[in-house]
Amino acid sequence: MKTVNWNRTFTEAKDPRKTFGEALTKVGSTIPEVIALSTDSSSGSGMGPFAKQFPERHYEFGIMEQGAIGYAAGLASTGLIPFYAAIAPFVTARPYEMFRNDLGYMQQNVKVVGRCAGLTYSHLGPTHHSLDDIGIIRTIPGVTILNPGDPVSIHKAVQAAAEFKGPAYIRIGSPPMPGIYNEDVPFEAGKGNVLMDGTDVTIIATGTMLANAVKAAMTLESEGLSVCLIDMHTVKPLDAELVLEAAERTGRIVTVEEHYVTGGLGSAVAELCSARRPTPVHMIGVQDQYASNGPYDELLGLYGLQAGQIADTVRNLLK
Amino acid sequence: MSLSAQEKLELEEKALALREKVLRMIKASGSGHLGGALSSTEILTALYFRIMKVDPERPDWTERDRFVLSAGHKCLILYAALAEKGFLPESYLDSYGDLKSPLPGHPSMQKQPGVEANTGALGHGLSIAGGMAMGLRAQKKKNRVFVLMGDGEQAEGSNWEAAAAASYHKLDNLLAFVDRNGLQIGGKTTEVMSYEPLEERWAAFGWSVRTIDGNDIEQVVEAIESAPFEAGKPSVIIADTVKSKGLSFAEGDAAYHYWKANADELKAADEDLKKAREILENARKGLK
Repeated sequence: MKTVNWNRTFTEAKDPRKTFGEALTKVGSTIPEVIALSTDSSSGSGMGPFAKQFPERHYEFGIMEQGAIGYAAGLASTGLIPFYAAIAPFVTARPYEMFRNDLGYMQQNVKVVGRCAGLTYSHLGPTHHSLDDIGIIRTIPGVTILNPGDPVSIHKAVQAAAEFKGPAYIRIGSPPMPGIYNEDVPFEAGKGNVLMDGTDVTIIATGTMLANAVKAAMTLESEGLSVCLIDMHTVKPLDAELVLEAAERTGRIVTVEEHYVTGGLGSAVAELCSARRPTPVHMIGVQDQYASNGPYDELLGLYGLQAGQIADTVRNLLK
Repeated sequence: MSLSAQEKLELEEKALALREKVLRMIKASGSGHLGGALSSTEILTALYFRIMKVDPERPDWTERDRFVLSAGHKCLILYAALAEKGFLPESYLDSYGDLKSPLPGHPSMQKQPGVEANTGALGHGLSIAGGMAMGLRAQKKKNRVFVLMGDGEQAEGSNWEAAAAASYHKLDNLLAFVDRNGLQIGGKTTEVMSYEPLEERWAAFGWSVRTIDGNDIEQVVEAIESAPFEAGKPSVIIADTVKSKGLSFAEGDAAYHYWKANADELKAADEDLKKAREILENARKGLK
């Protein structure tokens, strides 16, 4: 297995929304077709600098999250590349049919960005949590799902999405994300990155849970466990070759995501393994329930998503 | 510009040719959404044979005008217009209902060139058309965007989001039609869930509104050619029409929203269209 370079001592944590906004402004300055769509969500999504630099390429719709998807499809049909960002549940669960028909079925070149995904809006409760977004968007044929796990990955995901043609869903959180990669890290949509190439167990993490999974893996490694750690920044299309190679190598897989265990990365991995190489897959995520409310870190603790808990779960599985 | 007698007759002949094609597809498959296809025939006739800049040889031509059929179930009339215009061989019409037909029961742009949007779920087309109008304007193109909705479809809330955004963004290159045939699958539109008075509602959403007889080709052409009715505003034509227009046994009857044709009805339909053809042929002789 070929591993990528990464920082064992994380670099400074950055605001993912601000990072997304910087990435969009950067990509907008080299690709003139890139435009930004907002549903009263521009500054909250980090798109303020883009709006300031390219006011004529920034479109405001007010709080109409269904219609904005249709408008995005129409705009894309004329050759533009809309990035539409808002709070994750309001660009996925709410306008699901618009996403499916107007972007998926019509194969329009629109990039939907769900920010503050997962449990980010922890104390605001389940209406603002997004634990099903990957699950529901994953059912739409032809939509690429990018779930970057650090600030460098956010930049690269935005760049990649602007360059490939077709609908995409980019998922970002809100709490500061530590830097795991340097600029030279490869990022290819549909290709996971291997951080550790051990042989006892495979941990596959995605998005906001990458940093905690890395911490857990380092702890387990220090205890003598040989861990294979994969950053699956693209949930769809899933890097099947890499998952199967890891399954073959370690014989057991643990997935980690800030999402329901239903429908997300864990499901995608289990669907693949059950068909191609039956392998025990343990999914770490939120079970079938409406999540509670409270401080973000405590909420993660309630659902076993803190780094120490992830390490405990893996350790117990291997007993 | 008003139509000359010759131009009017030619458009009426086109409208009849489209109705004949609608019947041909229903004969091929045994059933189809008849009522709305025939109520909106004059609108599509005017658009495709008088107004729109489109080129069947280049369906993706970037300088084309766009037509979005928001009420995607009325696709038989769209297919008829595309076939008459040369976007598909007429023989394809006989594949309607078949497994590999490029003409599904709701239109697909991936299957049939010339189709601009994959509609069928109601309340999507106006947003898509609004985005097209916005994108064309941003690229300084003069093309126009047309979208056709049903009157029953007005109950979809997403239309009103789209309508508000179109007026806020001053999309005067966008022209919408409401095919007010007064009937939906469950009965009279005003009795199922009334959105009347439509004129006042659209005006309140910032649109410039005109009401016409939507089965009168002269009125349809005149209204489209005068749009935008006000600079800086999107326009909407409320077209009063007759459901299943042209088939005497089915006109104004909600039961023919979706028609499972029987032999007697097909015979009656043939006779109605034959009579209409004779009338137009006599009119043409009169012109000469």
